[in-house]
Amino acid sequence: MSAEEKPPSVLDGGWGWMVVLGAHISIGFAYSTPKALSIFFKEIQNDLQCSYSDIAWISSIMLAVMYAGGPISSALVNRFGSRPIVILGGLMCGVSMVAASFGSSIIYLYLCIGVIGGSGLALNLNASLTIISKYFLVRRPLANGLAMAGSPVFLCFLAPLNQFLLDEFDWRGSLLILGAVMLNCCVAGALMRPPSQPVVLKKVEDQSNEVSSIKDSCGQNVKKLLDLTFFKDRGFVFYLIGNLMFFFGAYAPIVFLSAYAVSLGVEEYSAAYLLSIMGVVDMFVRPGTGLIANTTWIRPRVQCFFSFAMVFNGMCHLLCPLITSYPLLVVYTVFFGVSFGMVFALIFECLMDLMGNQRFPSAVGLVTIIECVPMLLGPPTAGLLVDISGNYKSMFFMCGGVITLGGMFLFTMNVCRYHTLKKEQSSADTEQAKPTGSANQGQANISEVEIQTAVSVETDPNGRNC
Amino acid sequence: MSVSCLHFSSQLLLLLSFHRHVNTISENTTSITEPRVETPAPKTPPLAPLIPTQTAQRNVLLTGENHTEEIEVVNPVVLNLECIWPGNGKRLPNITGYWTKDGQTIETSYSNIQLENDLYRLIREFTIMNEDDLGNYSCLFGPKAKVKFIVAAPHLGEVRDKPIVSYVGDSVVMVCKMDEKKPQPISWNWYIQNGTNKVQIESDSNAHKYKITKDGNKTKLLVYNLTESDSGVYYCGAVYAVAISMGYMQLRVITYYEPLKPFMGILAEVVILVAVILLYEKIGSRKHGESAGTEENKDETNNLSHRDNDVAVAHSSTRQRKV
Repeated sequence: MSAEEKPPSVLDGGWGWMVVLGAHISIGFAYSTPKALSIFFKEIQNDLQCSYSDIAWISSIMLAVMYAGGPISSALVNRFGSRPIVILGGLMCGVSMVAASFGSSIIYLYLCIGVIGGSGLALNLNASLTIISKYFLVRRPLANGLAMAGSPVFLCFLAPLNQFLLDEFDWRGSLLILGAVMLNCCVAGALMRPPSQPVVLKKVEDQSNEVSSIKDSCGQNVKKLLDLTFFKDRGFVFYLIGNLMFFFGAYAPIVFLSAYAVSLGVEEYSAAYLLSIMGVVDMFVRPGTGLIANTTWIRPRVQCFFSFAMVFNGMCHLLCPLITSYPLLVVYTVFFGVSFGMVFALIFECLMDLMGNQRFPSAVGLVTIIECVPMLLGPPTAGLLVDISGNYKSMFFMCGGVITLGGMFLFTMNVCRYHTLKKEQSSADTEQAKPTGSANQGQANISEVEIQTAVSVETDPNGRNC
Repeated sequence: MSVSCLHFSSQLLLLLSFHRHVNTISENTTSITEPRVETPAPKTPPLAPLIPTQTAQRNVLLTGENHTEEIEVVNPVVLNLECIWPGNGKRLPNITGYWTKDGQTIETSYSNIQLENDLYRLIREFTIMNEDDLGNYSCLFGPKAKVKFIVAAPHLGEVRDKPIVSYVGDSVVMVCKMDEKKPQPISWNWYIQNGTNKVQIESDSNAHKYKITKDGNKTKLLVYNLTESDSGVYYCGAVYAVAISMGYMQLRVITYYEPLKPFMGILAEVVILVAVILLYEKIGSRKHGESAGTEENKDETNNLSHRDNDVAVAHSSTRQRKV
C-alpha cells in the first residue's frame, strides 16, 4: 500500500523547522514590540506635551488588542490558513508604525499603534501557534519552546535597536524604520507553507465525529467565533482558571523589579541590568524546557510539568521580600527568568495537548481574550497595593500567592482528571476499535498501526494500550 | 577633626551670610553687614558702587600637598580666602607665598610668610563682581603646597550630550534645568551660535518662530517651523547677579529622506525574501509533482496521509492525557 511506502508524514521535521523559524519571528514581534516601544515614550511625551500615564496607555492598548483579537484571528486562521493571515498581520503592523510616525496627537497614536498595530500582532500570534500544531506532533513541545523563545530574543534585539534609531532619527523616523522592520513578519508568513490540501480536509472532516468541523460559510464562522462549548471540557476550564491566576500576578514583578531594586539601595543602572539578565536567561530556558518536555518521561505528564513551573514561579516571588542585597537579587532574577521561561514555553503546548490539533485555533482565541482581563488588571492592582502599603513586599506576596495557588490548583485538578480519564479511556477504546465506515476500516487500521509505531518512539510506552 | 570643624563652620557662615543678604538685595539697599569680626572692612570696587556686596570667608587647612575647594557664587561678593599650611617638617622661618588666578600669577600677591605657631598663613581678599572675576584661584606656598579654589556660578545639571534630532517643518522643545538644591536663577536667556558669537534669542520679536517659557529653575525653548538652517548649537543661560551660567545643546534638523533610505532598504529586503521563498516553494512543488507520478496517485497519497494525520492526532491527543 502506498501508505506504507510513504514516510510517516511531513510532520516533525524538514520544512517544519523553517515554519518554527517563521513562528519564532512572528511571536517575537508580537510579544516584544509593546515592551520595546516604551523606549520612545519620553521623547513622544516631550513632543506631544502629555503625561507619562497617557503615553503608557499606548503599550497597554496594543497588548489588550493583541489578546482581545484572538477569536477573530482564530476564525480567520480557520478559514484561510496561517500564511495569508501572518502576511496580513505583518502588513498591518508595518502600516500602523508608518502611519504613527506622522502623528501629532496622542489619540492618533492610540489608534495607529494601539488598535491597528495590536490587531496585526493578534493575527500574527494566533496564526503562528496554529501552524506549529499542524506541523509538529512528536517534537511539538520542542517546536513550541523554540518558537516562544522569539519573545526574549527579539526584545534583546529590538531594545538597543530602538535606542540607536531614537538617537539617529528621533521617534518619528524610528517608527518609520520600525514599520519596515515589522514587515519582516511577512517573510515569516511566507515561510508558513500550508501543510495539506484544503479539499481533502473537508472530506475527512465529514466522516469524523470527534473533531469540531469548521465549514466554509460565514454564518457558521461567526457561531464558532466564541465557541462556548469549550467550557464543557473540564481540562479546558481548569487550564483557563490556572492561566487567569498566573496572568494576574505574572507581569507586575517585571514592571516593578527595577523600582524595588532601587528602593533597596541598588543604583539605577544595575537595576535596569536585572531585566536584561532575566531576558537572557529566558532566551535559553524556553527551548531547553521544550527539549525537556519532549522526553519520554515528561511528555505524557506535560500538564503537571506546567503546573510545577507555575508553582516554581510563584515561590520565587514569595521568597523575594526576604532579599536585601544585590547579589541575592540577581539570583532571584535568574530563578524568575527560569520559571517564567518554563511557563511560557509550555503555556500553548499544554493547550494544544488538551484541545488537539483541530480545536486549538478556536481555543487559543478564546483563551487569549479571557486572559486579557487579568493581564491588564494585574500591574495596576499591584501598583495600588504598593501605594497603599508603602513598600513592595505586599505586592510580591500577592503575586506569588496568586500564582502558586493557580499552579497548585492546576496540579491537583489535572491529577484528578488523569485518573478519571484513565477509566473513561478503557471504555472508549473499545468503541474506537469499531468500524466507522466499512470502506475505510482497512486503511484506518493500517494507518493507525503505522502512526502508533512512529509516535511511540518518543512517547510513553504505557500509552500504547489503545 | 579640627579641619572638619573649621570646614563646617566656614560653610555655615557662608550660608548664613548669603541668607541674610538675599532680602537686602531685593529691597535695593546698599547695606553691608558683617558676618564675622575676623575680616577687615570690605572694599567697594570702583565700578558700579551702588551694587551691594557681601563678604564671605573661606579657610582651608591644608593637610597634604594639594586641595581643591568649590565655591558657588550667586551674587557679587568679596571673598576672603585663607590658606593655612602646617609646613612639611622643615620648619623654615620664612617662605614665599603667592596667588594665581587661572594659572596666571598675580604679581602683587608675593609675600614673605612667617612661621607662627607652627603654621604658615596666606590670606587675600578677592572681589567677585562679574564673570571675569570667576575662575580658579590658587594659593601657593613656595613650590610645595597648593590650595585651589574654584569660584563659579551654579552649574547646570543634566545636560544632554547627544544632539536633538528633529524634522523640517516640525517643531522642537529644548529644556534646561537647574538642580532643585541649587539657588534659583533670576532669569533665563537663550542663545544661538552664529559663527563664533552667541546671539541672544528674542522671543517677542519672533513670536511665530520662538517661544521661551521660564519657570523658576526650568526653562523651555520652543522652535517652530524648523528649517535645516536652524541646526546648530543652542545655549541656555541661567542668569545670576554675578554671571550667567551656560549649558549647551545641539540641534540637528533633517529631512524625511534620511529615515526613508533605511526604510526603503529594509522594504526591498522583505520583498526579495518573500519572492525567493515563494519561488523556491513553486519550484519545489513542481519537482515533487513530476516525481510522484500520475495525478491519481498523488491524490490518493494525499488522502491517506491526511487521514493518517487526523487519526494520529485523535489518538495522540487522547494518549497524551494519560499519565
